[in-house]
Amino acid sequence: MPVFFVMLGAVFGLALSRSGAADYDFIQGMFLFTNFQLYGIIGAAVVLTAPGLWLLKRYGKTMTGEAITLPARLGHRGNIYGGILFGIGWSITGMCPGPILVNIGEGKLYALAALAGALVGAGAFGLLYPRLQAPLRLQPLRMGTGEG
Amino acid sequence: MQLILHDMTPIHWAVAGAVIAAVTLTMLFVGNRRLGISTGFEDACGLVLNAPYFRRSGALDGRTWRLPFLGGLVLGGVLSAVLGGGWEPTWALGMFDTEVGWGPTGKVMWMFGGGLLIGFGTRLAGGCTSGHGIFGLSNLEVPSLVATVSFMGAGVVTTNLLYRVVLA
Repeated sequence: MPVFFVMLGAVFGLALSRSGAADYDFIQGMFLFTNFQLYGIIGAAVVLTAPGLWLLKRYGKTMTGEAITLPARLGHRGNIYGGILFGIGWSITGMCPGPILVNIGEGKLYALAALAGALVGAGAFGLLYPRLQAPLRLQPLRMGTGEG
Repeated sequence: MQLILHDMTPIHWAVAGAVIAAVTLTMLFVGNRRLGISTGFEDACGLVLNAPYFRRSGALDGRTWRLPFLGGLVLGGVLSAVLGGGWEPTWALGMFDTEVGWGPTGKVMWMFGGGLLIGFGTRLAGGCTSGHGIFGLSNLEVPSLVATVSFMGAGVVTTNLLYRVVLA
């Protein structure tokens, strides 16, 4: 099964690499409203995924007959504050998380620094979680069932 | 506009959108997984950090699929470069080079700082462009809409501040 996910990631990465989604200039063009390629990509992805998801949830099973469960995700203040921090980081680097990895693959050396920063940032969040939980009204950690 | 990578012409946006949708739906139908990339950063942190946040089963199960998926993304980038004219390490950063013009040291610090915000922000927001922007919006989830509006808005403000105010 890990091989399956590696292959899926490679297909995803190729599409990001060749479409401009992992390209600094295309990301800045999106935020400057001078290039609309990224709006087309994200828009098309959502418009095509939505009906597929609706059908899959109606069908309710995976290929092997396993039940599909997508528990509703609760909103919290972190959606806004975290979103803003991430948006600033996306603009600075020209990369969201997937494209950081794609750019590393392409040979863009500065993407390694972005990955190092992202790992330190994610690590810091995990270590600070007990202190952030109450003021930001984050969900309690569910140790038994993951939220993916 | 051309790609920084080998100055290639990008594929049509609808083709890229269709591939992303196909991967997202395949991941759910075959692997029973919700698309999400930034959670992989905490999976990686969980390999060395022992805080309760990294011991959630939602984070632990990522080792069997999310980290392989992230490895696949790197592989996709390698394939793209190799098939597009050859793989070679580069510092090329498009309009950042023409407008800002910093060398490797400046770029490393700039990217590390931006990466910090990405790592911390996506964990706080509970997702990134893939989990909130693609999967969450497609699944009509309100928290994902809130997060997507937040990060798109912040990106618009930051890039415009840099290229139309600071560097104007």
